[in-house]
Amino acid sequence: MKTAQEMKPNSVALIDSQPWLIQKAEFTKSGRNSAIVKMKLKNLLTGSSTETVYKADDKMEQVILDRVDVTYSYSSDSVYVFMDEDYNQYELNADDLETVLPFIVEGMTDTCAAVFFEGKVISVDLPTNIVRQLTYTEGSARGDTSGKVMKVAKLSNGTEIKVADFCDTDDWIEIDTRTGEYKSRAKAPA
Amino acid sequence: MRASWDIFCSVIDNFGDIGVSWRLARQLVVEHDQSVRLWVDDLESFCRLCPEANNRDAQQTHQGVLVQHWVHGSLQENPAQQSPSPQGTPPVTAADVVIEAFGCQLPDDYIEAMVQRARPSLWLNLEYLSAEDWVAACHGLPSLQSRGLQKYFFFPGFTQGTGGLLREARLIEQRRRFQQSPAARQHFLNALGVFPQDNSRLVSLFSYENKSLFSWLDTLEAGIQPTHLLVPQGRIVAELQEWLGIKQLSKKDLHQRGALKVQLLPFLSQPDYDRLLWSCDLNVVRGEDSFVRAQWAAKPLLWHIYPQQDDAHLEKLDAFLKLYCQNLSPAAGSALRAQWHAWNSGQNMAQSEQELQQVWPELEAHSDAWCTQLSTQINISTALVQFFRKWL
Repeated sequence: MKTAQEMKPNSVALIDSQPWLIQKAEFTKSGRNSAIVKMKLKNLLTGSSTETVYKADDKMEQVILDRVDVTYSYSSDSVYVFMDEDYNQYELNADDLETVLPFIVEGMTDTCAAVFFEGKVISVDLPTNIVRQLTYTEGSARGDTSGKVMKVAKLSNGTEIKVADFCDTDDWIEIDTRTGEYKSRAKAPA
Repeated sequence: MRASWDIFCSVIDNFGDIGVSWRLARQLVVEHDQSVRLWVDDLESFCRLCPEANNRDAQQTHQGVLVQHWVHGSLQENPAQQSPSPQGTPPVTAADVVIEAFGCQLPDDYIEAMVQRARPSLWLNLEYLSAEDWVAACHGLPSLQSRGLQKYFFFPGFTQGTGGLLREARLIEQRRRFQQSPAARQHFLNALGVFPQDNSRLVSLFSYENKSLFSWLDTLEAGIQPTHLLVPQGRIVAELQEWLGIKQLSKKDLHQRGALKVQLLPFLSQPDYDRLLWSCDLNVVRGEDSFVRAQWAAKPLLWHIYPQQDDAHLEKLDAFLKLYCQNLSPAAGSALRAQWHAWNSGQNMAQSEQELQQVWPELEAHSDAWCTQLSTQINISTALVQFFRKWL
């Protein structure tokens, strides 16, 4: 058993004998040192989605899922296709990729993990750290070099992300996919 | 429609949990004609708020609320269930609506009783009060449980989309009438043994232990205007004694230091504490229940928020200040923020107290306007009844 706080997006919890994919999980401290987790869940049997709240220390039964390394191939009409080393293709709808969708860009080479429940692919996990190129950001207004002053920048898929003020258009940056936040400026992938 | 309600309260510390639960239970009975059983694990604390209660009676009725003692774990371990009272203790049947106050854990066999019902109970977790933005987004959301049960999270709050605040139907009217009657105020204070000078500022102090207390008292002592500080029994008393340099503060004794008079009050009932807040020019309050009551008093307040690990409370403090200061002038907003931050961070209070005095008339008017604004939103008991009807 795990606590609700330990359950991460793209994991599956067995709740009342039903498998629920955790699509989103937001941890918040409430009162008197307690906390809650707001989750978006998708029932893997019925396909229905629901928003829920749990106490952070509520116990949950985690379903152990199979994983296969895949890379992103292409997308068409909100269907995203990933491929494993044996050239097997796995299709996922945009709805199934809610947390990773902002970081899927054409040409990405990251090794991802396709997640399976009872033989069916249900989602994809990105690596914890990914490198992406900025396609647009305003110039540095204050010449700040500390990295503490932030500004908005865009990735090639239109995703907006806050980056250090010293970042420029065409720069490569490292992103933590657990938080979706900018980590640092990075070198272009080889 | 008359529904049955079970409210479970586990007293963790202080009187916040039981204060809110007892207040809510009475409102559901008096204002909504509901049948309410209040489960309390600490009858001693309950008796402080309800002096007519007996801490040895596992089951008793007060003000229309059936008060039931419970112990954690299984209800079968509860003496009240093992030894029926002469009138016959009813078997444990789950109510139509079950509230776990502040996330307290329901006994397993009570959950079993909820499952056994022909129609499931509405299970609610009454959460802590916060002014943060996320509250409205989480209010009313379900939490899927085992055996077909669902628990809903009910969040009090200050804005639309939250569950509102506890407020009795005639509270604002009663408060206005009291504040418009100098005789009522004088009669109430005199009955407590309080005889303030005409030109003195009356301040109530109900706070956790606070590192800023000494510097605040120093400032009041050196003030131009006399301050009469009224301190209901509570956790701050030991520090107050230390500042005064005395071993034991006695009720009703007056201790004067410069412009400051300090007077200890007995522990007050909820209605009397309300009257105290209505009578004072400034109320220093703490936690949740007294904090809300001070806002209904329509007087300036200073909040000591419940301290949390990693300073999580400071974010909550700022979230409230963001709302509360919206209609204040920049000078008044800045002075208020500085004072509240100092009080909650153990800083010296001298400068912020001075700055606050310069905007005092604005703060007085604002506290009245804020109370009026808050009183237009739904109160918790009505919101709960509506939630239940909608759920049906």
